[in-house]
Amino acid sequence: MWKAAVRKQFLGYIVAVIVIAAATAVLNVFGGHINPTTVALAFLLIVLFVAAAWGSKPAVLAALVGGICFNIFFLPPVGTFHIAEPENWIAFLSFLVTGITAGQLSARARRRAEEANEVRQEVERLYAELQESFEEASQARALKQSERLKSALLDAVTHDLRTPLTSIKASVTTLLDDHRSIRKNAAPSLLNDESRQEMLEVIDEEADRLDRFIGGMMELARIEAGEMHLRRRWGSIEEIVSAALSRASALTNNHKTELGIEDDLPMVCVDERAVSEVIYSLIDNAAKYSPVDSVIRIVARRVNQTTVQMGVADEGSGISPELRERVFDKFFRATRDGDISANRPSGSGMGLAIAKGIVEAHDGKIWIQNGPGKGTAVFFTLPIGEGQIEGQKPENTNGA
Amino acid sequence: MEHKPRILVVDDEPQLTRVLRTGLSSHGYEVRVAADGVSALETFGDWHPDLVVTDLAMPQMDGLELCRSLRAISSVPILVLSARGEEKTKVEALDLGADDYVTKPFGIEELLARVRVALRRTKTAASSEAAPTFLETGELRIDLETRIVTVKGREVRLTPKEFDLLLHFMRNAGKVLTHRVLLAAVWGGEYVEQNEYLRVFVGQLRKKLETDPAAPRYILTEPWVGYRFNPE
Repeated sequence: MWKAAVRKQFLGYIVAVIVIAAATAVLNVFGGHINPTTVALAFLLIVLFVAAAWGSKPAVLAALVGGICFNIFFLPPVGTFHIAEPENWIAFLSFLVTGITAGQLSARARRRAEEANEVRQEVERLYAELQESFEEASQARALKQSERLKSALLDAVTHDLRTPLTSIKASVTTLLDDHRSIRKNAAPSLLNDESRQEMLEVIDEEADRLDRFIGGMMELARIEAGEMHLRRRWGSIEEIVSAALSRASALTNNHKTELGIEDDLPMVCVDERAVSEVIYSLIDNAAKYSPVDSVIRIVARRVNQTTVQMGVADEGSGISPELRERVFDKFFRATRDGDISANRPSGSGMGLAIAKGIVEAHDGKIWIQNGPGKGTAVFFTLPIGEGQIEGQKPENTNGA
Repeated sequence: MEHKPRILVVDDEPQLTRVLRTGLSSHGYEVRVAADGVSALETFGDWHPDLVVTDLAMPQMDGLELCRSLRAISSVPILVLSARGEEKTKVEALDLGADDYVTKPFGIEELLARVRVALRRTKTAASSEAAPTFLETGELRIDLETRIVTVKGREVRLTPKEFDLLLHFMRNAGKVLTHRVLLAAVWGGEYVEQNEYLRVFVGQLRKKLETDPAAPRYILTEPWVGYRFNPE
């Protein structure tokens, strides 16, 4: 560092001498015709240049060498260091003083500029550091958040697996306990046929529930990995809805279902099975979260040239506005995590998350709003998909 | 004639209440179920069960809140159903006065055993209410008037604090007592964090009372929760 600075200054001295010498040689070509003032100004320019590039000491050297050359080659009598005229003495001394002063000032200005530059660099460095630490902090925050999310998900999954297991274990041990007491004491069974049947039913149903849960998990994982392959075909909305309704018939035994499907709906190019699944899980939710004998209404209408909208509305207790986004989160359940009080079987907490995945894979949107009067209504849009499939004409075939 | 013991089962999971209703009924208990704390309190007021079995995580009013509300109006035994991962809530429930817990998933025999212990405790408490001059479990006997403790008829000398602790254990035989509850009952409210007191005193009691202090018969450890005096 120090060495480099010394070497740089040394270079300054050499350049000062060479440039002055070169200028002297060039100016000397003009011989006696040249005005000494022009020469002095040219030399001053060189001094300023050296000062700006290498600092004050090389500038002083440039001024001194310039002064000597000025005297010898351009002030009469030319060729000697002697100065005859007093006015030329004044010119010589003026040149020296001006050269040295200008050199010092210019060097000082250069130093200031360098200092300013250093300060600027320091500020930039500090700013970059600050930014880096901000980024680190926000990364740490994000990491913490994602860990919290992970552990919440783990809790939810654990709960969803353990709940059916608890019922299964309790049922099985009730049957086992009875069986053992019969064998040991040759006593009559404590459980009647009806009870035994009930225990077996619980085991059966809860095993199915576990299976559904695992199926849902796999479906969600596929959606999240972006591996959902839609098998789009032209189909009628009425067919999709009626497929969902017939699958959900066991769920809606205690409810009244109503259809509000607009006439003359166009065919839509969608994965029919997937969209039917969306409607099924909306009906499932509606049945779970609304009172017995209330109405579940399934609607469909055309919004514009390119979009249809479908929805399922119930007459339940509704969902508060602040939960309307969260219900689409994986494993979120309003009965457990939100404010809905319910004495009902709870779902897996995956239905709406899967529905959202399917709708968004179709480039549609899904949202919740309060139903007419009371209750919850979930709507979603689907692009009709004109022109996406060739060969088949997306004509209205309803009622045909 | 005595009525069948009544058990109120509180859980928001209908399949589990279905199983418990059948399983407990078949063993001679009268069972009613509630899906949350609020309806449990209503049923409790109308029906006066002898035991409440409750889940911890429920909508509307959870198990903790239910324990608190029940303890404000009754000393009915409370059995908590807790899942692994709910340890903190479970201990809170016991601190609030729940008697015992069963961890989900559980076998029906385990639940039935805990139910029997809890119901026996209320029975003995009720029958000895008249004039309890002594408490007895196995070969261990405390004379409440003379404060003399004997094991197999031989007198055992206890310090006053050891005696208080043993008395509290025996008066709550069968019940899970959390560290906090024991410390508050024997040492006072400002000592509830001093778990090491308990360890030392329980160790001394076991040395003086148990045949094999390493495998205790009377004072059992409930890991990370507290202790239970075994009345069997």
